[in-house]
Amino acid sequence: MLRYALQRFLTAIPTLLLVATLAFVLLHAAPGGPFDDDRNMLPSIRHSIEAQYHLDEPLWRQYLRFLSDLAHGDLGPSFQYRGVSVNEMLAQGLPVDLTVGLSALALALVIGGTLGVTAALRHRTLQDRALVALALTGISTPVFVIAPLLVLVFSVQLHWLPAGDWVAGSPGHLLLPALSLALPYIAYLTRIMRASTLEVLGSAFIRTAHAKGLGGTAVLWRHVLRATLTPLVSFLGPAIAGLITGSIVVESVFGLPGIGRYFLIGALNRDYTLVIGVTIVYGAAIILCNLLADLCYAWIDPRVRLR
Amino acid sequence: MTSGLPIEVGPGLASPQLLFRSLDDEPRSLDPLLTNDLPGQRIADDLFEGLTTIDMSGKAVPGVATRWETSGDGLTWLFHLRPDARWSNGAPVTAADFVFSWRREVDPRTASASAQGLEPIAHALEIASGKAPIETLGVEAVDEHTLKVQLIEPTPYLLDLLAQQYLFPVYEPVIRQYGDAWTRPEHLIGNGAFVLHERIINDRIVLDKSPTYWGAAGVRLQRVTYYVLPDQGEQAQRFLSGAIDWADSFGTNQRIWLRQKLGDQVVNAPYFAAYFLGFGFNLPPFRGNLPLRRALVMALDREPMVRSMKQGMYEPAYTLMPPLPGYRLPRPAWADLPDERRHALARELYHQAGYSDSHPLRVRLEVPSKGPDSRHFFEAIVATWHSVLGADVQLYESEFKVLSQERVLHKLPLFVDSWIGDYPDPKTFMQLRVTGDGNNNDDYSNPAYDRLIEAADREGDQERRYALFEQAEQILDDDAAYIPLYYYATRHLIKPYLRGWQSNVMDRNPSRYMYLLEHREP
Repeated sequence: MLRYALQRFLTAIPTLLLVATLAFVLLHAAPGGPFDDDRNMLPSIRHSIEAQYHLDEPLWRQYLRFLSDLAHGDLGPSFQYRGVSVNEMLAQGLPVDLTVGLSALALALVIGGTLGVTAALRHRTLQDRALVALALTGISTPVFVIAPLLVLVFSVQLHWLPAGDWVAGSPGHLLLPALSLALPYIAYLTRIMRASTLEVLGSAFIRTAHAKGLGGTAVLWRHVLRATLTPLVSFLGPAIAGLITGSIVVESVFGLPGIGRYFLIGALNRDYTLVIGVTIVYGAAIILCNLLADLCYAWIDPRVRLR
Repeated sequence: MTSGLPIEVGPGLASPQLLFRSLDDEPRSLDPLLTNDLPGQRIADDLFEGLTTIDMSGKAVPGVATRWETSGDGLTWLFHLRPDARWSNGAPVTAADFVFSWRREVDPRTASASAQGLEPIAHALEIASGKAPIETLGVEAVDEHTLKVQLIEPTPYLLDLLAQQYLFPVYEPVIRQYGDAWTRPEHLIGNGAFVLHERIINDRIVLDKSPTYWGAAGVRLQRVTYYVLPDQGEQAQRFLSGAIDWADSFGTNQRIWLRQKLGDQVVNAPYFAAYFLGFGFNLPPFRGNLPLRRALVMALDREPMVRSMKQGMYEPAYTLMPPLPGYRLPRPAWADLPDERRHALARELYHQAGYSDSHPLRVRLEVPSKGPDSRHFFEAIVATWHSVLGADVQLYESEFKVLSQERVLHKLPLFVDSWIGDYPDPKTFMQLRVTGDGNNNDDYSNPAYDRLIEAADREGDQERRYALFEQAEQILDDDAAYIPLYYYATRHLIKPYLRGWQSNVMDRNPSRYMYLLEHREP
């Protein structure tokens, strides 16, 4: 398995390089540059500023420079914010995304898991139907509707929670963003857990477990839940990547200093280095999460062989 | 909603004095010489101080300089610096600091987009264009506390110009030591009422009161936190939830309901900025076609369009320059014609230009993509041209950066343009149509106009000078040199317990005058 992991890890490098190259080419091909503004500069000043950022060089040389910097782990200076490097912006923003994303994941697992199993155990009751309906609503309501609604109720009307802002380590500031981000995933997980629990409950080995005289709780924890993990893991790999990279809307609504906002603002400002930097981080996150999910399969289900 | 209830404001000062404000965007730099955006100016006003500074009403008043005298021809100025002016590390602010800073500003290697702002100072433009060494700049430290400035023309707005952030002093040792990184909180040294405590890009900038500022005794705020909130809807949301005391702006489409909810906390005031459409003077179909340009100018119904679509916030415009206290805006004769008469004249001109229902004008109006609010306004313009003239103008939206680039390259026949005045003087607007000016996006050129602006530059008497600008404005109207749309207004949300500010046309509101009264929010 170690060998497999290493192999996957090595193939990730050309993939990432391709992603970075695409981002580089697309950005430079887009019309409008970082220093086009509503005020025009003197030609001499413009030339000087472009020289500082090497924009006066041919594109292939800029690309080689970019690759060489990248190999040294340097993503370059931001084009929009003078004196600030992309590395330090990512270092400032990424912990925010990780905190919000992983908190949302925890919320989704606990709430979605509980609701899904509950619905399955109470199959075809009113509770089951209500939960299924709720999950459908959750899946079909986009984050940009949920988030402002939560703010309206909990911040503007009830004054219970802040309407935005980020204070590292403050659960009050984390709750609404994490919840907004988690809601669709809670809904998905409810459905997945309900379906797979139902499937497992009807299978022969559960009947055997019951026949051996095991109690309901023991069957649930020792046999049912373990068997539901495989579909869960295949969902979680992309979901974790999605939670970390998909917070652009949540960041905008709550004014969080995460890298999703950098991505959006950077693209509009033609902040080449910043957008490429965020793209690489996002690409790496997606590759890594998928790899972890594959490794988890093998660990949970010995029938899966990795080669 | 609870926040709609009145806030109880007491007579005493709140304690502690912590102010929370918002910025519309992240400043591009905290270096006052490099920043040319409005959020950057807000921060620079708190962290630094020029020879002159602005009072609450935006007027230039003594800053680091306490007094000044000028030669008979108005070209040589002597500024006397206050001896108690200090950098935030305790070092005295000297005349040499200004010499260093201004030279740095025009040095092409600094690559400051604001270098042109120093144009009135001797040799500034030559240095910025790389044609003269930086030592030739017309600024000299006579002694530690006396600064001599040499101008190329009498500059009646010089005192206002000196209060601009790109003429603020910066501290040489820290720039030599850290380069571009000198604006980090751990390095930054300023001479203003506040010092930089923390900066998180695209999130917040936190300033603390500076103990070394010469006027520190009059500064009541202990800390100012600026949140960077590019989404105007979010600014209103934070204001309503009580998280900020001052919102720098809100969406134009939010005004009516915010006004109903918040009453006087919604503050609109005239702003020295204008919105207009530009023509490509060297491009068909407008090149040499005065009747066509005039027809498009006159066909628009500015009053109902601006008043209803901008929710009563902006004033319809008939000039390039927005209102300025003391300056009489010329009003073109066609502006007061009854609608039908004006439309008929516009149609006549349109036909005269060679267009008709069977051969309509077909051209693209290039606008920035800023969402439905702004699009609806342009749709109304295009629809009016269609219904009044029969013209077939297509709206074409592009990203701001793309539009800016094509404007500079003079590739667009009809486009949206705007300008925010640098200092409260007509010059900052009127130079936009001078032949060859870097911001003359139209390629407009009229020697008579250029002569008037030149004459105004030499004129020392304000009344006569303003009269020259009024004549110049008349030429722009005669030439149908652009399509005036509206003058901007500032739009802030301000809590009733926040005092120490005044609306002003430059929309500069330094934190050092502000203070908070005791209050209780329901």
